[in-house]
Amino acid sequence: MPKPLLALGCEGSANKLGLGVVSHDPTTNKTTILSNVRHTFNSPPGTGFLPKDTAKHHRTFFTRIAHEALSTAGISPSDLSCICYTRGPGMGAPLSSVAIAARTLSLLWDKPLVGVNHCVGHIEMGRVITGADNPVVLYVSGGNTQVIAYAEQRYRIFGETLDIAVGNCIDRFARTLGIPNDPFPGYNVEQLAKKGGSVLLDLPYAVKGMDCSFSGILAAADLLAAQMREQDRILSAEGGKLKEGEVRITPEDLCFTLQETVYAMLVEITERAMAHVGSKQVLVVGGVGCNERLQEMMGSMAKDRGGSVYSTDERFCIDNGIMIALAGLLAYETGFRTPLEDSTCTQRFRTDEVHIKWRDD
Amino acid sequence: MTASTGSQDFPCVLTLDVPFPTARLASIALQSLQVDKELSALVRRTFSISSSIEGARGDSDKILKVEYKATTNRMLRVAFNSFMESLNLVVEVMEELDADVLSTPIAA
Repeated sequence: MPKPLLALGCEGSANKLGLGVVSHDPTTNKTTILSNVRHTFNSPPGTGFLPKDTAKHHRTFFTRIAHEALSTAGISPSDLSCICYTRGPGMGAPLSSVAIAARTLSLLWDKPLVGVNHCVGHIEMGRVITGADNPVVLYVSGGNTQVIAYAEQRYRIFGETLDIAVGNCIDRFARTLGIPNDPFPGYNVEQLAKKGGSVLLDLPYAVKGMDCSFSGILAAADLLAAQMREQDRILSAEGGKLKEGEVRITPEDLCFTLQETVYAMLVEITERAMAHVGSKQVLVVGGVGCNERLQEMMGSMAKDRGGSVYSTDERFCIDNGIMIALAGLLAYETGFRTPLEDSTCTQRFRTDEVHIKWRDD
Repeated sequence: MTASTGSQDFPCVLTLDVPFPTARLASIALQSLQVDKELSALVRRTFSISSSIEGARGDSDKILKVEYKATTNRMLRVAFNSFMESLNLVVEVMEELDADVLSTPIAA
């Protein structure tokens, strides 16, 4: 009887360096996570992570995280079937630092390489963890915003952002407010939003067919934040008063408003995709997917349609190595390999470019 | 490391000989590093393996020879610095994660 196969996954397309080991049994389709180690590069409040610094972070921590991934899993390199790495999409310099290290491991250990599409990694991980077999997928993170449905061995993009990703919009607004990036900006925006909600401020709503746009919303939110600082200045002066009828803006209400607006947009396009393909399941993946408010809004929409939302916690929905290991191992089992000379990275790599040979439904 | 005069279009040249303990490691470094294309058209590079610095025969191929050529010194510095960062990572992975290193128990 064939034994389960093991893979090491190496992920570093953005500010998280993640390495992990998974095992997958091709006969029973059972997946086991043996280790999932991650180290995040956080830039100071008010700033974002730059490619150069992020790449340096990944190079600095690679061997330490690799050691931890192997020792936690309790395996040696000879147990592995393949080494999987993120081919794209993502930031060029961080991607290629991890690819160089993965290539070196592949040669040192004499194991084949498998280049993985980051988005496909998220989807396969989400399906395994939640058990959703054929859901409409909402993939929301700092770099990507897509509504995806599977058909005939491709994950097809139904709708996507026309400009910046929803997570980028939230992260950059966190910078405007100067709140910490640790553990991640979206988490801190969510905590502030929980304390807000006394008033829903006015922000544009930008759904265009199946697509959406977030850059104008960010610009409008930044303007409201500037207005809030002006109010702070007026009120701190002696006898300072706001104009008759002017609403006092707070960071809490701003975060609340931003979340409600952008998540409503995402729920709308996801619902339209579900109606189109006739699915009752929705799977939310990507870093923004661990936002509880988004899960709640998506859940009530799905409930109204007689279905349910499938989501995972931060261990699996935030970038990690095991999602790359799993998607890579599934491809490996169908005979897919990435020859060393082709083991490059690419900043642009669309979800629907990948042939999903391991699914035949 | 040596700097010398290059061709007319690529006058700025830097060469580096990196000695490895074994031919296997030198070859692995070469293969890992040469996959990514040089990003700028203003920079040319060649990687090769050679036997020894002064050409003494008999020694196995343990030396990674690197040559960078660029149109300006600035381009040369940017490309070469980036190469050194990658080389550093490759060497660290070899030191820490080669199969024989991992099979040796780590002293507490």
